[in-house]
Amino acid sequence: MQTTLEEPVDRLFLPSSSPVDRGQRRRAFALLLLLVGALAATAPYATIALTGTGILLPAYATAVLVTDLMTAILLVGVFTVERSPAVLLLASGYLFAGLTVVPWALTFPGAFAPDGLLGGGLQSTAAIAAVRRLGFPLCILGYALMARPGSARGTWRGPVPSAVAASIAAVFLLAVAVSWLALAEQGLLPALMTSRSQASALWDLVPGAAVLLCLAGLILLWRRGRCVLDLWLMVVLCSLLIEILLLAGLSGGRFSLGWWAGRLYGLIAASVVLLVLLSETTILQGRLARSIAAERRGREARLSTLEALSASIAHEVNQPLSSMVTNADAAVRWLDRSPPDLAEVRAALSRIAEDGHRAGRIVESTRATLRRGRRERQPLEVNALLGHVAARWRDDLELDRVSLRLRLAETLPPVAGDPVQLEQVLCNLVGNALEALRGVDDRVRSVEIASAPEGERAVLISVSDNGPGFGPADGERIFEPFFTTKPDGLGMGLMFCRSVIEAHGGRLWAEPGAPGARFRFTLPAESGPVAEAGR
Amino acid sequence: MNSDSTAVFVVDDDASVRHSLESLLRSVGHLVQSFESTEALLAAERPDLPACLVLDVRLRGRSGLEFVSDPSFAALALPVVFVTAHGDIPMSVTAMKAGAIEFLTKPFRDQDLLDAVHRGLALDRHRRAEASALAEIAAREATLTAREREVMALVAEGRLNKQIAAELGLSEMTVKVHRAQVMRKMQAGSLPELVRLADRLEAESRKA
Repeated sequence: MQTTLEEPVDRLFLPSSSPVDRGQRRRAFALLLLLVGALAATAPYATIALTGTGILLPAYATAVLVTDLMTAILLVGVFTVERSPAVLLLASGYLFAGLTVVPWALTFPGAFAPDGLLGGGLQSTAAIAAVRRLGFPLCILGYALMARPGSARGTWRGPVPSAVAASIAAVFLLAVAVSWLALAEQGLLPALMTSRSQASALWDLVPGAAVLLCLAGLILLWRRGRCVLDLWLMVVLCSLLIEILLLAGLSGGRFSLGWWAGRLYGLIAASVVLLVLLSETTILQGRLARSIAAERRGREARLSTLEALSASIAHEVNQPLSSMVTNADAAVRWLDRSPPDLAEVRAALSRIAEDGHRAGRIVESTRATLRRGRRERQPLEVNALLGHVAARWRDDLELDRVSLRLRLAETLPPVAGDPVQLEQVLCNLVGNALEALRGVDDRVRSVEIASAPEGERAVLISVSDNGPGFGPADGERIFEPFFTTKPDGLGMGLMFCRSVIEAHGGRLWAEPGAPGARFRFTLPAESGPVAEAGR
Repeated sequence: MNSDSTAVFVVDDDASVRHSLESLLRSVGHLVQSFESTEALLAAERPDLPACLVLDVRLRGRSGLEFVSDPSFAALALPVVFVTAHGDIPMSVTAMKAGAIEFLTKPFRDQDLLDAVHRGLALDRHRRAEASALAEIAAREATLTAREREVMALVAEGRLNKQIAAELGLSEMTVKVHRAQVMRKMQAGSLPELVRLADRLEAESRKA
């Protein structure tokens, strides 16, 4: 269906349009089995007459009235969101069933008064019952015949409040008209009852027609795409069928055991949709709260990553940018001299080119960080990479009188990775170690870079120093953006390192040394034959 | 511009920024020495010339701001121009309070830097001239005898010869002779000039 794409997402959560999951189908089937089982259990005793139980009828009628009205209200609520006329028809059906139960119970002989209230005759109650019995399945049938909720045709385009008001008014008028007809025009009523507790042969037509309506509704609902509401309406129809079977076929007339059992099924039929709507609403609310929380968390995470990223771009790109501007200014000044010093101009221009390349590399690797998984990976020898990093830092280390130890495993599987990023991570870690060692005067300052195989399919790399280390509480916080222990640090370095290592499928963590700090990370070995990959 | 008679020191941990600053400053005729850390600056042998320091705030070791509040910097007595990639207002306030000439955010206009450096150099030249003039006066004072110093101090206070003679228990004639000696040794052409010289020495000794 082409319109499904345009549907707002919230419709998917409504019981009238959300698809049935397996658990729901199982629950509906279990309830159905229970109802049939209960029918089988009551059937042998159905004819036992329970005289004097007429006083319970008002309670029953009240329960039916309340559940029908509540169901109608909830369905109207669904209609206002979904604007499906089918749902509004269903709501009208419930409203009608709820309203007509009032005159039905009031006129019922032996309930409020021996002859019933409102001056009803022998046929009044039966006539109202017949209209209820046929009207409700007719509404479900109408619901099943109308266009699916959520589809383009099944959406009410007009104003919602007036549609709701018109339906309620129509149902109200209909209920009043039926009651008035049954009470005031008793001469027009067919002879459905022969006595207060015994039905005539003509009455048999009513359950027969009702059974046909229920079966038609069942078939239509079954054949249609089954949403949650459809599924439970099928349960409602089944319990209505059982009710009819009990009342018309098995029971021994009014106030017999079978008759009361049938009434109970009627109550179940009335409350199934109410319970489903209520539980769906509760579940929906929980799900909604959870997804809002998840969305908020996600947005916060995205925001802080974005902030971190922009800060790191500003930090990294500004240096070459500033250097380019100054070099260009210098070149102009060398040119303006008389005679122009072309050697200096050339030197300045080539520095500009270098800075441009450097800025380009930073931008490229930042983009690569964003574009996780699509990064250019190449097979890398970890030891060569570590050696390269050590060589880069040798002068700085010597300047700070730090002894560097490289402890490399002899054979390591090659890893797949982005050499620029991994080098940045290592430089970050070594730079941190160096910074931590600046205040150390009572022992030989040392940094150790080590590699070791980690199991068969990974390499473990560690950078340790014997500086002051970090506090026990800071072990995980140091990886958070903007957390820093340096007087003018940005708090970006370790967060960047961790995101790079995790993008490589590895793990980065910090351990306290004795003394100092040790940062370790793993990199998964490149998949493929290990022996051939060595260069 | 002022050629080899001035020096500019650049401290920035980014080599390419360092080289660009060096080139820019050399192009206008400054003698430039650049360092990657303040430690390297302190360890280096620096020419004895009017000088100015261009200092990055964010350095790998001690930051530029920490450095200027350190006693080792006070001994250098250099005017400082700060440059930084991320300047904020508190940072610039700290820098200006620490006596910076200027606080420039990268990338900056070359003229801004050159102007700031120029001001720094002028300041340092002035400071050096002051210092050497003072050293000269102090050298002259060193040639005075103890008695002559006493006489100079009283003369500077505005006492008459008669009063000085009474205070020191000398004859007025002897005071006159001492006074003439003081004028000659201090190379003062007039009494007001001698008073000025004595005041400067007095001010310097109070400062110390």
